[in-house]
Amino acid sequence: MSASGESAARPAIALTGEQLARLVYPVVAVAAFLGLWEVLVRIMDVPLWLLPKPSDFLSRMVVDHALLLEQAWSTAVSIVLGFALAVAVAVPLALAIVSIGTFERGLYPVIVFLNIMPKTVIGPILIVWFGVNQLVIVLIVFLMCFFPILVDSMAGFRATDPRLYYITRSMGANTWQAFRHVRLPAAMTFVFAGMKIGIVKAVEGVIIAEFIGSSAGLGFLIMRASSFMDQTLMFSGLIATALVAMVFNGAMLATEHWLMPWARGRGH
Amino acid sequence: MQRDTTDPGTSSGRDADIGASIVARGMTKIYGSGADAHHALGPIDLDIKPGEFVSLIGPSGCGKSTTMLLVSGLEPVSGGSVEVDGKPLTAPITEVGIVFQDHLLLEFRTAMKNVMLQQEIRGLDKAVLEDRARMLFERLDLVGAENRYPWQLSGGMRQRVSIARALVHDPSMLLMDEPFGALDAITRTQIRHDLEMLWLDTSKTVLFITHSIEEAVGLSDRVLVMSKGPGRIVEEIAIDLPRPRPAHLGEYPDFAKYANRIYDIFQKLGIYKFT
Repeated sequence: MSASGESAARPAIALTGEQLARLVYPVVAVAAFLGLWEVLVRIMDVPLWLLPKPSDFLSRMVVDHALLLEQAWSTAVSIVLGFALAVAVAVPLALAIVSIGTFERGLYPVIVFLNIMPKTVIGPILIVWFGVNQLVIVLIVFLMCFFPILVDSMAGFRATDPRLYYITRSMGANTWQAFRHVRLPAAMTFVFAGMKIGIVKAVEGVIIAEFIGSSAGLGFLIMRASSFMDQTLMFSGLIATALVAMVFNGAMLATEHWLMPWARGRGH
Repeated sequence: MQRDTTDPGTSSGRDADIGASIVARGMTKIYGSGADAHHALGPIDLDIKPGEFVSLIGPSGCGKSTTMLLVSGLEPVSGGSVEVDGKPLTAPITEVGIVFQDHLLLEFRTAMKNVMLQQEIRGLDKAVLEDRARMLFERLDLVGAENRYPWQLSGGMRQRVSIARALVHDPSMLLMDEPFGALDAITRTQIRHDLEMLWLDTSKTVLFITHSIEEAVGLSDRVLVMSKGPGRIVEEIAIDLPRPRPAHLGEYPDFAKYANRIYDIFQKLGIYKFT
Protein backbone atom coordinates (compact mmCIF):
# COMPACT_ATOMS: atom_id res chain seq x y z
CA MET A 1 0.00 0.00 0.00
CA SER A 2 1.43 3.33 -1.00
CA ALA A 3 0.84 6.30 1.22
CA SER A 4 -0.69 8.49 -1.46
CA GLY A 5 -4.12 6.87 -1.70
CA GLU A 6 -3.85 3.43 -3.25
CA SER A 7 -7.25 3.46 -4.94
CA ALA A 8 -6.77 6.91 -6.44
CA ALA A 9 -3.46 5.90 -7.99
CA ARG A 10 -4.99 2.99 -9.89
CA PRO A 11 -6.51 3.75 -13.31
CA ALA A 12 -10.24 3.20 -13.25
CA ILE A 13 -10.63 1.56 -16.66
CA ALA A 14 -7.72 -0.86 -16.92
CA LEU A 15 -8.59 -4.36 -15.74
CA THR A 16 -6.21 -6.36 -13.61
CA GLY A 17 -5.87 -10.08 -14.20
CA GLU A 18 -8.00 -10.77 -11.18
CA GLN A 19 -10.79 -8.49 -12.37
CA LEU A 20 -10.67 -10.07 -15.82
CA ALA A 21 -11.01 -13.50 -14.25
CA ARG A 22 -13.99 -12.28 -12.25
CA LEU A 23 -15.61 -11.26 -15.53
CA VAL A 24 -14.68 -14.32 -17.57
CA TYR A 25 -15.82 -17.05 -15.17
CA PRO A 26 -19.50 -16.07 -14.96
CA VAL A 27 -19.69 -15.48 -18.73
CA VAL A 28 -18.28 -18.95 -19.39
CA ALA A 29 -20.65 -20.46 -16.79
CA VAL A 30 -23.73 -18.82 -18.34
CA ALA A 31 -22.67 -19.85 -21.87
CA ALA A 32 -22.18 -23.43 -20.72
CA PHE A 33 -25.57 -23.45 -19.02
CA LEU A 34 -27.34 -22.12 -22.14
CA GLY A 35 -25.44 -24.56 -24.36
CA LEU A 36 -26.49 -27.51 -22.23
CA TRP A 37 -30.08 -26.26 -22.24
CA GLU A 38 -30.03 -25.95 -26.04
CA VAL A 39 -28.59 -29.44 -26.53
CA LEU A 40 -30.94 -31.15 -24.07
CA VAL A 41 -34.07 -29.51 -25.50
CA ARG A 42 -33.00 -30.54 -29.04
CA ILE A 43 -32.17 -34.13 -28.05
CA MET A 44 -35.36 -34.64 -26.05
CA ASP A 45 -37.39 -32.74 -28.65
CA VAL A 46 -39.29 -30.63 -26.11
CA PRO A 47 -42.14 -28.73 -27.79
CA LEU A 48 -41.80 -24.96 -28.08
CA TRP A 49 -44.95 -24.18 -26.08
CA LEU A 50 -43.48 -26.08 -23.10
CA LEU A 51 -39.87 -24.94 -23.03
CA PRO A 52 -38.19 -22.87 -25.74
CA LYS A 53 -34.51 -23.26 -26.60
CA PRO A 54 -32.11 -20.44 -25.83
CA SER A 55 -31.69 -19.96 -29.59
CA ASP A 56 -35.47 -19.41 -29.81
CA PHE A 57 -35.79 -16.67 -27.23
CA LEU A 58 -32.43 -15.06 -27.94
CA SER A 59 -33.30 -14.69 -31.62
CA ARG A 60 -36.79 -13.51 -30.60
CA MET A 61 -35.09 -10.82 -28.51
CA VAL A 62 -33.28 -9.64 -31.63
CA VAL A 63 -36.41 -9.72 -33.78
CA ASP A 64 -38.64 -8.04 -31.21
CA HIS A 65 -35.99 -5.75 -29.77
CA ALA A 66 -38.08 -2.63 -30.42
CA LEU A 67 -41.04 -4.01 -28.46
CA LEU A 68 -38.83 -5.24 -25.60
CA LEU A 69 -36.93 -1.95 -25.39
CA GLU A 70 -40.17 0.02 -25.31
CA GLN A 71 -41.58 -2.10 -22.47
CA ALA A 72 -38.25 -2.20 -20.63
CA TRP A 73 -38.10 1.58 -20.87
CA SER A 74 -41.57 1.87 -19.31
CA THR A 75 -40.53 -0.49 -16.50
CA ALA A 76 -37.30 1.42 -15.94
CA VAL A 77 -39.14 4.74 -15.73
CA SER A 78 -41.50 3.26 -13.10
CA ILE A 79 -38.52 2.00 -11.08
CA VAL A 80 -36.69 5.32 -11.27
CA LEU A 81 -39.76 7.36 -10.29
CA GLY A 82 -40.86 5.04 -7.48
CA PHE A 83 -37.34 4.65 -6.13
CA ALA A 84 -36.56 8.38 -6.31
CA LEU A 85 -39.82 9.17 -4.54
CA ALA A 86 -38.97 6.61 -1.83
CA VAL A 87 -35.52 8.13 -1.26
CA ALA A 88 -36.92 11.66 -1.28
CA VAL A 89 -39.51 10.78 1.37
CA ALA A 90 -37.68 8.14 3.45
CA VAL A 91 -34.41 9.98 4.11
CA PRO A 92 -35.90 13.24 5.45
CA LEU A 93 -38.58 11.27 7.30
CA ALA A 94 -35.87 9.11 8.92
CA LEU A 95 -34.16 12.28 10.13
CA ALA A 96 -37.46 13.62 11.48
CA ILE A 97 -38.30 10.38 13.28
CA VAL A 98 -34.83 10.19 14.83
CA SER A 99 -34.85 13.87 15.84
CA ILE A 100 -38.42 14.36 17.05
CA GLY A 101 -39.66 12.14 19.87
CA THR A 102 -43.33 12.56 18.95
CA PHE A 103 -42.67 11.19 15.46
CA GLU A 104 -40.77 8.25 16.86
CA ARG A 105 -43.62 7.27 19.19
CA GLY A 106 -46.55 8.21 16.96
CA LEU A 107 -45.54 7.68 13.37
CA TYR A 108 -43.07 4.84 13.47
CA PRO A 109 -45.49 2.11 14.69
CA VAL A 110 -47.86 3.06 11.85
CA ILE A 111 -45.06 2.72 9.31
CA VAL A 112 -44.03 -0.64 10.77
CA PHE A 113 -47.64 -1.83 10.44
CA LEU A 114 -47.82 -0.65 6.83
CA ASN A 115 -44.62 -2.51 6.12
CA ILE A 116 -45.90 -5.81 7.51
CA MET A 117 -48.85 -5.62 5.11
CA PRO A 118 -47.99 -7.16 1.69
CA LYS A 119 -47.62 -4.14 -0.60
CA THR A 120 -49.21 -5.76 -3.66
CA VAL A 121 -52.49 -6.04 -1.73
CA ILE A 122 -52.76 -2.28 -2.10
CA GLY A 123 -52.56 -2.67 -5.89
CA PRO A 124 -56.28 -3.35 -6.55
CA ILE A 125 -57.23 -0.46 -4.24
CA LEU A 126 -54.88 1.88 -6.07
CA ILE A 127 -56.37 0.77 -9.40
CA VAL A 128 -59.84 1.76 -8.16
CA TRP A 129 -58.48 5.14 -7.14
CA PHE A 130 -56.23 5.94 -10.06
CA GLY A 131 -57.22 3.54 -12.86
CA VAL A 132 -54.83 1.27 -14.73
CA ASN A 133 -51.88 3.53 -15.32
CA GLN A 134 -48.26 4.06 -14.51
CA LEU A 135 -48.99 6.04 -11.34
CA VAL A 136 -50.19 2.82 -9.68
CA ILE A 137 -46.97 1.04 -10.66
CA VAL A 138 -44.84 3.92 -9.37
CA LEU A 139 -46.71 3.95 -6.05
CA ILE A 140 -46.24 0.20 -5.54
CA VAL A 141 -42.53 0.50 -6.33
CA PHE A 142 -42.41 3.36 -3.83
CA LEU A 143 -44.03 1.24 -1.13
CA MET A 144 -41.73 -1.72 -1.83
CA CYS A 145 -38.46 0.15 -1.42
CA PHE A 146 -39.52 2.83 1.04
CA PHE A 147 -39.18 0.82 4.24
CA PRO A 148 -35.64 -0.58 3.91
CA ILE A 149 -34.40 2.91 3.02
CA LEU A 150 -36.25 4.41 5.99
CA VAL A 151 -34.95 1.88 8.52
CA ASP A 152 -31.33 2.06 7.40
CA SER A 153 -31.41 5.86 7.18
CA MET A 154 -32.71 6.01 10.75
CA ALA A 155 -29.80 3.85 11.86
CA GLY A 156 -27.50 6.16 9.91
CA PHE A 157 -28.74 9.34 11.54
CA ARG A 158 -28.26 7.68 14.91
CA ALA A 159 -24.77 6.42 14.08
CA THR A 160 -22.75 9.47 15.06
CA ASP A 161 -21.12 9.24 18.48
CA PRO A 162 -22.64 12.07 20.57
CA ARG A 163 -19.15 13.01 21.80
CA LEU A 164 -18.34 14.02 18.24
CA TYR A 165 -20.86 16.83 18.69
CA TYR A 166 -18.82 18.01 21.69
CA ILE A 167 -15.89 18.28 19.31
CA THR A 168 -17.83 20.16 16.63
CA ARG A 169 -19.29 22.51 19.23
CA SER A 170 -15.79 23.21 20.51
CA MET A 171 -15.01 24.20 16.91
CA GLY A 172 -17.86 26.69 17.10
CA ALA A 173 -19.99 24.72 14.65
CA ASN A 174 -23.70 25.44 14.58
CA THR A 175 -26.31 22.70 14.18
CA TRP A 176 -26.35 23.04 10.39
CA GLN A 177 -22.54 22.76 10.12
CA ALA A 178 -22.48 19.73 12.40
CA PHE A 179 -25.19 18.18 10.25
CA ARG A 180 -23.53 18.95 6.93
CA HIS A 181 -19.98 18.05 7.90
CA VAL A 182 -20.58 15.17 10.29
CA ARG A 183 -24.04 13.72 10.65
CA LEU A 184 -25.20 13.61 7.04
CA PRO A 185 -22.02 12.12 5.51
CA ALA A 186 -21.79 9.68 8.43
CA ALA A 187 -25.33 8.52 7.62
CA MET A 188 -24.50 8.00 3.95
CA THR A 189 -23.08 4.50 4.38
CA PHE A 190 -26.32 3.44 6.01
CA VAL A 191 -28.56 5.23 3.51
CA PHE A 192 -26.75 3.44 0.70
CA ALA A 193 -27.13 0.07 2.39
CA GLY A 194 -30.88 0.74 2.51
CA MET A 195 -30.93 1.92 -1.09
CA LYS A 196 -29.18 -1.26 -2.26
CA ILE A 197 -31.89 -3.38 -0.63
CA GLY A 198 -34.49 -0.91 -1.90
CA ILE A 199 -33.49 -1.20 -5.55
CA VAL A 200 -33.74 -5.00 -5.40
CA LYS A 201 -37.22 -4.66 -3.88
CA ALA A 202 -38.14 -2.08 -6.51
CA VAL A 203 -37.28 -4.36 -9.43
CA GLU A 204 -39.17 -7.21 -7.76
CA GLY A 205 -42.13 -4.97 -7.02
CA VAL A 206 -42.40 -3.35 -10.41
CA ILE A 207 -42.96 -6.63 -12.27
CA ILE A 208 -45.60 -7.82 -9.82
CA ALA A 209 -47.29 -4.42 -10.02
CA GLU A 210 -47.28 -4.63 -13.81
CA PHE A 211 -48.82 -8.12 -13.59
CA ILE A 212 -51.74 -6.71 -11.56
CA GLY A 213 -52.58 -3.50 -13.23
CA SER A 214 -50.75 -2.04 -16.15
CA SER A 215 -50.95 -1.56 -19.86
CA ALA A 216 -47.21 -1.23 -20.31
CA GLY A 217 -43.93 -2.58 -19.01
CA LEU A 218 -42.14 -5.93 -19.03
CA GLY A 219 -44.54 -7.37 -16.44
CA PHE A 220 -47.46 -6.51 -18.71
CA LEU A 221 -45.61 -7.97 -21.71
CA ILE A 222 -44.95 -11.26 -19.89
CA MET A 223 -48.57 -11.45 -18.70
CA ARG A 224 -49.86 -10.84 -22.24
CA ALA A 225 -47.45 -13.39 -23.71
CA SER A 226 -48.68 -15.86 -21.11
CA SER A 227 -52.31 -15.43 -22.18
CA PHE A 228 -51.24 -16.17 -25.79
CA MET A 229 -49.12 -19.15 -24.63
CA ASP A 230 -46.19 -17.38 -26.28
CA GLN A 231 -43.40 -19.04 -24.28
CA THR A 232 -40.61 -17.60 -26.39
CA LEU A 233 -41.74 -14.05 -25.72
CA MET A 234 -42.16 -14.82 -22.01
CA PHE A 235 -38.59 -16.02 -21.79
CA SER A 236 -37.44 -12.98 -23.75
CA GLY A 237 -39.27 -10.81 -21.23
CA LEU A 238 -37.66 -12.72 -18.37
CA ILE A 239 -34.19 -12.12 -19.73
CA ALA A 240 -35.00 -8.46 -20.36
CA THR A 241 -36.22 -8.12 -16.76
CA ALA A 242 -33.00 -9.65 -15.47
CA LEU A 243 -31.01 -7.22 -17.61
CA VAL A 244 -32.99 -4.26 -16.24
CA ALA A 245 -32.30 -5.50 -12.69
CA MET A 246 -28.60 -5.82 -13.49
CA VAL A 247 -28.44 -2.30 -14.88
CA PHE A 248 -30.06 -0.85 -11.74
CA ASN A 249 -27.89 -2.82 -9.33
CA GLY A 250 -24.81 -1.84 -11.30
CA ALA A 251 -25.85 1.81 -11.29
CA MET A 252 -26.28 1.68 -7.51
CA LEU A 253 -22.83 0.19 -6.98
CA ALA A 254 -21.26 2.72 -9.34
CA THR A 255 -22.97 5.61 -7.55
CA GLU A 256 -21.80 4.29 -4.21
CA HIS A 257 -18.25 3.91 -5.50
CA TRP A 258 -18.36 7.46 -6.80
CA LEU A 259 -20.02 9.13 -3.81
CA MET A 260 -18.25 7.21 -1.06
CA PRO A 261 -14.62 6.91 -2.08
CA TRP A 262 -13.62 6.18 1.51
CA ALA A 263 -15.31 2.80 1.47
CA ARG A 264 -13.37 1.60 -1.60
CA GLY A 265 -11.25 -1.43 -0.92
CA ARG A 266 -12.72 -1.85 2.53
CA GLY A 267 -13.98 -5.35 3.26
CA HIS A 268 -17.68 -5.74 3.87
CA MET B 1 7.24 30.68 17.54
CA GLN B 2 6.84 34.34 16.71
CA ARG B 3 3.34 35.35 15.86
CA ASP B 4 1.39 38.58 16.00
CA THR B 5 -2.08 38.74 17.45
CA THR B 6 -3.86 39.10 14.12
CA ASP B 7 -2.63 35.74 12.87
CA PRO B 8 -5.41 34.50 10.57
CA GLY B 9 -4.58 30.95 11.56
CA THR B 10 -5.50 31.08 15.21
CA SER B 11 -9.06 30.71 16.26
CA SER B 12 -9.30 33.93 18.25
CA GLY B 13 -6.36 36.08 17.27
CA ARG B 14 -5.04 35.98 20.85
CA ASP B 15 -1.48 34.88 21.43
CA ALA B 16 -1.96 31.17 21.92
CA ASP B 17 1.64 30.65 23.00
CA ILE B 18 0.37 31.44 26.45
CA GLY B 19 -2.10 28.87 27.66
CA ALA B 20 -5.43 29.70 29.23
CA SER B 21 -6.03 29.84 32.96
CA ILE B 22 -8.93 27.90 34.45
CA VAL B 23 -10.45 28.94 37.76
CA ALA B 24 -13.45 27.14 39.24
CA ARG B 25 -15.17 27.91 42.54
CA GLY B 26 -17.68 25.55 44.11
CA MET B 27 -18.19 23.88 40.72
CA THR B 28 -20.99 21.30 40.97
CA LYS B 29 -22.77 19.09 38.46
CA ILE B 30 -26.07 17.35 39.04
CA TYR B 31 -27.50 15.36 36.13
CA GLY B 32 -31.27 15.01 35.90
CA SER B 33 -33.72 16.33 38.46
CA GLY B 34 -36.11 15.20 41.18
CA ALA B 35 -35.82 11.57 42.22
CA ASP B 36 -33.60 10.75 39.23
CA ALA B 37 -31.07 13.46 40.08
CA HIS B 38 -27.52 12.22 40.14
CA HIS B 39 -24.97 14.32 41.99
CA ALA B 40 -21.94 13.67 39.76
CA LEU B 41 -19.45 16.26 40.89
CA GLY B 42 -18.45 18.76 43.48
CA PRO B 43 -18.41 21.22 44.81
CA ILE B 44 -14.79 21.45 43.69
CA ASP B 45 -12.33 24.31 43.23
CA LEU B 46 -9.74 24.45 40.45
CA ASP B 47 -6.83 26.83 39.95
CA ILE B 48 -5.02 25.90 36.76
CA LYS B 49 -2.29 28.30 35.70
CA PRO B 50 -1.64 29.25 32.08
CA GLY B 51 0.50 26.63 30.39
CA GLU B 52 0.19 24.14 33.23
CA PHE B 53 -0.11 20.38 32.60
CA VAL B 54 -2.64 19.05 35.09
CA SER B 55 -3.87 15.47 35.36
CA LEU B 56 -7.07 14.26 36.94
CA ILE B 57 -6.80 10.72 38.23
CA GLY B 58 -9.37 8.66 40.06
CA PRO B 59 -11.74 5.70 39.80
CA SER B 60 -14.46 5.45 37.15
CA GLY B 61 -17.43 7.64 37.92
CA CYS B 62 -15.50 10.19 40.01
CA GLY B 63 -16.45 13.06 37.70
CA LYS B 64 -13.22 13.44 35.75
CA SER B 65 -14.95 13.63 32.39
CA THR B 66 -17.66 15.84 33.84
CA THR B 67 -14.98 18.26 35.07
CA MET B 68 -13.61 18.44 31.54
CA LEU B 69 -17.03 19.14 30.02
CA LEU B 70 -17.73 21.86 32.60
CA VAL B 71 -14.48 23.78 32.16
CA SER B 72 -14.96 23.77 28.38
CA GLY B 73 -18.53 25.04 28.71
CA LEU B 74 -19.84 22.01 26.80
CA GLU B 75 -22.06 21.21 29.78
CA PRO B 76 -23.46 23.91 32.06
CA VAL B 77 -22.51 23.88 35.75
CA SER B 78 -25.31 23.15 38.23
CA GLY B 79 -23.68 25.32 40.86
CA GLY B 80 -20.60 27.47 41.39
CA SER B 81 -18.62 29.22 38.69
CA VAL B 82 -15.94 28.63 36.06
CA GLU B 83 -13.70 31.28 34.58
CA VAL B 84 -11.37 30.72 31.65
CA ASP B 85 -8.78 33.48 31.24
CA GLY B 86 -10.73 35.50 33.77
CA LYS B 87 -13.97 35.39 31.77
CA PRO B 88 -17.00 33.55 33.17
CA LEU B 89 -18.19 30.76 30.87
CA THR B 90 -21.56 31.26 29.23
CA ALA B 91 -21.15 29.17 26.08
CA PRO B 92 -18.78 26.43 24.88
CA ILE B 93 -15.30 27.85 24.49
CA THR B 94 -13.71 27.46 21.07
CA GLU B 95 -10.13 28.20 22.16
CA VAL B 96 -9.77 24.52 22.89
CA GLY B 97 -8.84 21.16 21.42
CA ILE B 98 -10.45 17.96 22.68
CA VAL B 99 -9.25 14.35 22.48
CA PHE B 100 -11.33 11.44 23.75
CA GLN B 101 -10.41 7.82 24.42
CA ASP B 102 -11.94 6.90 21.07
CA HIS B 103 -10.36 8.70 18.16
CA LEU B 104 -13.77 9.91 16.91
CA LEU B 105 -12.37 10.55 13.45
CA LEU B 106 -14.77 10.84 10.54
CA GLU B 107 -14.52 7.61 8.54
CA PHE B 108 -15.30 9.42 5.28
CA ARG B 109 -12.40 11.83 5.54
CA THR B 110 -8.72 11.15 5.10
CA ALA B 111 -6.37 11.81 8.02
CA MET B 112 -5.47 15.25 6.67
CA LYS B 113 -9.08 16.15 5.88
CA ASN B 114 -10.09 15.07 9.39
CA VAL B 115 -7.58 17.51 10.82
CA MET B 116 -8.63 20.23 8.36
CA LEU B 117 -12.24 20.00 9.60
CA GLN B 118 -11.08 22.58 12.15
CA GLN B 119 -10.16 24.94 9.33
CA GLU B 120 -13.41 24.38 7.42
CA ILE B 121 -15.74 24.89 10.35
CA ARG B 122 -13.81 27.78 11.87
CA GLY B 123 -13.30 29.42 8.49
CA LEU B 124 -9.57 29.87 9.11
CA ASP B 125 -6.89 30.50 6.51
CA LYS B 126 -6.41 27.26 4.58
CA ALA B 127 -2.74 27.66 3.68
CA VAL B 128 -1.73 28.57 7.25
CA LEU B 129 -3.66 25.66 8.74
CA GLU B 130 -2.34 23.22 6.16
CA ASP B 131 1.22 24.23 7.06
CA ARG B 132 0.48 23.71 10.70
CA ALA B 133 -1.19 20.36 10.02
CA ARG B 134 1.89 19.20 8.10
CA MET B 135 4.12 20.32 10.97
CA LEU B 136 1.94 18.35 13.41
CA PHE B 137 1.97 15.27 11.14
CA GLU B 138 5.74 15.45 11.21
CA ARG B 139 5.94 15.90 14.98
CA LEU B 140 3.43 13.11 15.57
CA ASP B 141 5.15 10.65 13.24
CA LEU B 142 2.23 10.65 10.80
CA VAL B 143 4.08 11.49 7.59
CA GLY B 144 2.69 9.28 4.83
CA ALA B 145 -0.69 8.91 6.51
CA GLU B 146 -2.13 12.18 5.15
CA ASN B 147 -4.32 10.64 2.45
CA ARG B 148 -5.31 7.50 4.27
CA TYR B 149 -8.74 6.89 5.67
CA PRO B 150 -9.08 6.05 9.38
CA TRP B 151 -9.76 2.37 8.68
CA GLN B 152 -6.37 2.18 6.97
CA LEU B 153 -4.53 3.39 10.10
CA SER B 154 -3.50 1.59 13.27
CA GLY B 155 -5.12 2.48 16.59
CA GLY B 156 -2.09 4.49 17.66
CA MET B 157 -2.00 6.45 14.41
CA ARG B 158 -5.71 7.21 14.61
CA GLN B 159 -5.19 8.65 18.06
CA ARG B 160 -2.26 10.71 16.79
CA VAL B 161 -4.48 12.13 14.03
CA SER B 162 -7.04 12.93 16.71
CA ILE B 163 -4.36 14.84 18.64
CA ALA B 164 -3.36 16.73 15.47
CA ARG B 165 -7.01 17.69 14.97
CA ALA B 166 -7.13 19.05 18.51
CA LEU B 167 -3.99 21.18 18.01
CA VAL B 168 -4.06 22.38 14.41
CA HIS B 169 -5.93 25.61 15.20
CA ASP B 170 -3.39 26.40 17.93
CA PRO B 171 -5.82 26.53 20.88
CA SER B 172 -4.76 27.80 24.29
CA MET B 173 -6.18 24.74 26.03
CA LEU B 174 -6.02 21.02 25.37
CA LEU B 175 -8.53 18.71 27.02
CA MET B 176 -7.77 15.01 26.93
CA ASP B 177 -10.12 12.37 28.29
CA GLU B 178 -8.14 9.15 28.69
CA PRO B 179 -6.57 9.68 25.28
CA PHE B 180 -4.23 6.70 25.48
CA GLY B 181 -6.62 4.38 27.32
CA ALA B 182 -7.30 2.16 24.32
CA LEU B 183 -3.67 1.83 23.19
CA ASP B 184 -1.12 -0.86 23.95
CA ALA B 185 1.59 -0.14 26.52
CA ILE B 186 4.42 0.37 24.03
CA THR B 187 2.44 2.77 21.84
CA ARG B 188 1.26 4.55 24.98
CA THR B 189 4.78 5.24 26.22
CA GLN B 190 5.88 6.67 22.85
CA ILE B 191 2.79 8.81 22.35
CA ARG B 192 3.16 10.13 25.91
CA HIS B 193 6.64 11.34 25.04
CA ASP B 194 5.51 12.85 21.72
CA LEU B 195 2.74 14.73 23.49
CA GLU B 196 5.17 16.01 26.14
CA MET B 197 7.57 17.28 23.47
CA LEU B 198 4.76 19.08 21.64
CA TRP B 199 3.52 20.61 24.88
CA LEU B 200 7.01 21.77 25.87
CA ASP B 201 7.24 23.73 22.62
CA THR B 202 3.87 25.44 22.88
CA SER B 203 3.05 25.65 26.60
CA LYS B 204 -0.68 25.19 26.17
CA THR B 205 -2.73 24.51 29.26
CA VAL B 206 -3.50 20.79 29.36
CA LEU B 207 -6.16 19.06 31.39
CA PHE B 208 -5.41 15.35 31.13
CA ILE B 209 -7.74 12.67 32.42
CA THR B 210 -6.32 9.25 33.09
CA HIS B 211 -6.60 6.03 35.04
CA SER B 212 -2.88 5.45 34.78
CA ILE B 213 -0.61 6.55 37.61
CA GLU B 214 2.37 6.25 35.31
CA GLU B 215 0.80 8.59 32.74
CA ALA B 216 -0.29 11.10 35.38
CA VAL B 217 3.13 11.29 37.00
CA GLY B 218 4.97 10.94 33.72
CA LEU B 219 3.27 13.94 32.09
CA SER B 220 2.00 16.36 34.71
CA ASP B 221 3.12 19.41 36.59
CA ARG B 222 0.37 18.65 39.04
CA VAL B 223 -1.85 15.63 39.68
CA LEU B 224 -5.32 16.04 41.18
CA VAL B 225 -6.51 12.82 42.78
CA MET B 226 -10.28 12.43 42.78
CA SER B 227 -12.74 10.21 44.62
CA LYS B 228 -16.35 9.50 43.82
CA GLY B 229 -19.83 9.75 45.28
CA PRO B 230 -20.00 12.72 44.50
CA GLY B 231 -16.76 13.48 42.65
CA ARG B 232 -14.25 15.47 44.70
CA ILE B 233 -10.59 16.36 44.63
CA VAL B 234 -9.01 14.64 47.61
CA GLU B 235 -5.37 15.47 47.08
CA GLU B 236 -3.16 17.64 44.97
CA ILE B 237 0.37 16.46 44.19
CA ALA B 238 2.93 18.73 42.50
CA ILE B 239 5.25 16.61 40.35
CA ASP B 240 8.73 18.05 40.48
CA LEU B 241 10.58 15.92 37.93
CA PRO B 242 12.88 17.20 35.17
CA ARG B 243 11.59 17.32 31.58
CA PRO B 244 11.49 15.78 29.10
CA ARG B 245 10.79 12.71 31.13
CA PRO B 246 12.26 9.34 30.07
CA ALA B 247 10.45 6.28 28.73
CA HIS B 248 11.33 4.37 31.87
CA LEU B 249 10.18 6.64 34.68
CA GLY B 250 11.84 4.34 37.22
CA GLU B 251 15.07 6.16 36.36
CA TYR B 252 13.83 8.83 38.71
CA PRO B 253 13.89 7.75 42.37
CA ASP B 254 11.21 10.37 43.00
CA PHE B 255 8.85 8.70 40.51
CA ALA B 256 8.29 5.84 42.94
CA LYS B 257 7.67 8.33 45.72
CA TYR B 258 4.91 10.10 43.73
CA ALA B 259 3.40 6.87 42.45
CA ASN B 260 3.35 5.41 45.97
CA ARG B 261 1.56 8.47 47.27
CA ILE B 262 -1.22 7.98 44.76
CA TYR B 263 -1.42 4.24 45.49
CA ASP B 264 -1.66 5.09 49.21
CA ILE B 265 -4.52 7.50 48.59
CA PHE B 266 -6.37 4.90 46.51
CA GLN B 267 -5.82 2.34 49.27
CA LYS B 268 -7.00 4.75 51.94
CA LEU B 269 -10.12 5.60 49.92
CA GLY B 270 -10.91 1.93 49.46
CA ILE B 271 -10.42 2.14 45.69
CA TYR B 272 -7.73 -0.49 46.05
CA LYS B 273 -8.47 -3.27 48.52
CA PHE B 274 -5.08 -4.97 48.75
CA THR B 275 -4.47 -6.78 52.01
